[in-house]
Amino acid sequence: MDIKLSEEQVQLKEGARKFMEDECTGEFVREMEKSELGYTKKMWQQMAEMGWLGMAAPEDCGGLELGTVDLVILAKELGRNICPSPFLSTVVIAGEAIARAGSDAQRQEFLPKIVEGELVLAFAYQEYTRKFEPGVIELQAKEDGDHYVLDGTKMFVEFAGGADILLVVARTSGEAPASSGLTMFLVDAKSEGIASKRTPTMARDHHYEVGFSGVRVPKDRVLGGVGDAWSSLEGVIEKAAVVFSGYTGGVCEMMHERATEYAQQRVQFDRPIGQMQLIQSYLATLIIDIYGSDTLTFFTAFNMDKGRRVRPYVAKTKAFAADTVNNTTNVGAQIFGGIGYMEEQDTTLYLRRGKQYQLALGGLDYWEDIIAEELIDVENPTLLT
Amino acid sequence: MDFDWSPEELAFRDEVREFIAENLTEEVAGTIFIDTPARVAFVDKMAERGWLGMGFPEKYGGSKKPIPLAQFILTVELDLAGAPIVGKNVGVVANTILNECSEEMKMEFLPKIFKNEGQWALTYTEACAGTDIGAMQCPAVDMGDHFEVTGSKLFITSAHFAKYHWIALRTDPDAPKHKGISIFIMDADSPGISLTPMHCIGTTGTTHRTNEVFLDHVKIPKSRLVGELNKGFYYMMQALDYERFAILSFASRVRRFGKIVDWVKNAEYNGNDRPIEDPVIRRKLARMATRVEVGTMLERLCICAAMERVPAVEAAMNKAYGATVGADMAELALDIMGPFGYLWAGAEHAPLNGYLVDEHLMAGHARVAAAGVDTAKSIVARRLLGLPNALGKPVLPAK
Repeated sequence: MDIKLSEEQVQLKEGARKFMEDECTGEFVREMEKSELGYTKKMWQQMAEMGWLGMAAPEDCGGLELGTVDLVILAKELGRNICPSPFLSTVVIAGEAIARAGSDAQRQEFLPKIVEGELVLAFAYQEYTRKFEPGVIELQAKEDGDHYVLDGTKMFVEFAGGADILLVVARTSGEAPASSGLTMFLVDAKSEGIASKRTPTMARDHHYEVGFSGVRVPKDRVLGGVGDAWSSLEGVIEKAAVVFSGYTGGVCEMMHERATEYAQQRVQFDRPIGQMQLIQSYLATLIIDIYGSDTLTFFTAFNMDKGRRVRPYVAKTKAFAADTVNNTTNVGAQIFGGIGYMEEQDTTLYLRRGKQYQLALGGLDYWEDIIAEELIDVENPTLLT
Repeated sequence: MDFDWSPEELAFRDEVREFIAENLTEEVAGTIFIDTPARVAFVDKMAERGWLGMGFPEKYGGSKKPIPLAQFILTVELDLAGAPIVGKNVGVVANTILNECSEEMKMEFLPKIFKNEGQWALTYTEACAGTDIGAMQCPAVDMGDHFEVTGSKLFITSAHFAKYHWIALRTDPDAPKHKGISIFIMDADSPGISLTPMHCIGTTGTTHRTNEVFLDHVKIPKSRLVGELNKGFYYMMQALDYERFAILSFASRVRRFGKIVDWVKNAEYNGNDRPIEDPVIRRKLARMATRVEVGTMLERLCICAAMERVPAVEAAMNKAYGATVGADMAELALDIMGPFGYLWAGAEHAPLNGYLVDEHLMAGHARVAAAGVDTAKSIVARRLLGLPNALGKPVLPAK
């Protein structure tokens, strides 16, 4: 047992940190919040050049075929600077879905372009429901000759406005709450009948409500088996949840560093507030959670890369990382006192994201139900040691 | 990065598990202490296998460490099974003797420890010196050819079955308080020592006993000084880093949570009330399962660090997190039990025979023992985050 990073991994981490520090400043993040796209093509291209967009893709599609552990390492660095980019939806979700479920033709059509930074994909999954379970999906896809016709509404589709392709999960048969009967479609974002409007969020990131009205999708854009989306999508979401936990881990790390630094600098009652036990207790409690969350994230990523069944571990990873990012950004802001709640303060960028990230990609209800199921209902569960 | 145990580590773990399966009788299980003949016999068998002196030089009765993590795996497996563990004798006493004592003392005491000949009490705490252990006053006065001790010590857990006291005493009343303490090895049967038992809160019959120790003109030979005079505080601190890790593994909480989940799964009350079907209870268990997993991860961090150094910060994190989770899970269990959570051991209908009641009442004890949760957090704040000592003079930031 040895949980240190390899030399290559240290290089990945350090390279990413340097790039983020130079390019992804607080000022940049604010600019992106106000921008049309929510990210810059320039940075997306740079990310491609550094090989980040091809990290996960298979080698025969121009990728590096690296594991989840490496994705987590990179995601942590992106998270430290809350990098606004469609990395998760394009590389980790859509890219992974195509690699797992796509036909050879689809893999060759889409993956090399993702690797090269020529294609941005958004994940259109959530609908007008509080739940994250696939079974609640209602958006209809009806067969019509050599096309499917999509009707319905997706919500919280991040980067839909700046995406080339939408990965849409739609119902081709059955009805809620069945998770069977769902199918994935790669829908051209410019298709007729698609209407997107941006939804203002507390993170001021780029979420859209996307309406589909008689949107015709050719059959060769069906991804994976008809009615069988969940058999590959579940694993994709699991992987995304782990990588996203790495990302929020980076958010925590940075917020905590800044709060600690502030506590060392800010003098009240003739001493730095970081010399007071109550402040120390906050910071120590948070860092213990952050270390625990980080180790659990890597543990799950490692076992996922080994091809082991990690369902309960993913759920625990995501649930704990979610709580930790919410806590750390909340308490971290509090360390700053009044200034922690002023718009111009960079740490408010983190505070505005903490709660939202906790709710993202399946809230606690979703993941805790999985944990309970695995803990209670599964006979003789396999335990990783 | 490799989270997997090596084949050698797994083989050793299996060996320990087999040993436990063969030797852990009902008479032995239930406490980490080696306080009865049956428990002594159990540990004797471990000693025969060379498991107490792993990694110590052979000339002192030590044995080759089969693998670097052997000590850790042994402790975790024992703790997981609810068996007596050897952390204190080996982790604190033997390590300090090896690092700080004369050849003569090493030859005298190390082989005894590794053969399980006699138990040790850590005799530090006084009424005026708990968390602030440096405030201890009980003096050892230099009488020329020996030291003489008169005073008292509090919460000395193993004193009623120990053969030796690993005792910290004030040897220089005029020095700054951390610089006037020394450690001695004192025979428990020395004339002038008397004990008053103190019983921890809990169900009658299974309560954990500790002691107040009175010392009346007790003589300690000069040869029993550990290391250098007035360096005792530093030896204690070093050993505490080790103790937090070696004695208190997270495994006991994993075991406790397993028992709780098993109980909830099978419980059924009037009106078809099966707690396991209650969605709120399921969520609460899920949340606790997550925290248990995180505790296991913090322990992992500790193990990995331990391969290279004494994992002081990691052990403090492990301690703070583990003790809090331990307390919260006992409380969660009682919440689920409702009024049946009132019932003590022996009561009809007491879930798990009142086990969680004792665990709940004593949960706070785990939070304060071996430098408590708050002390552990102070260690994290200072050593990991680099924040200034809250008890020191103001440390103003450089302009």
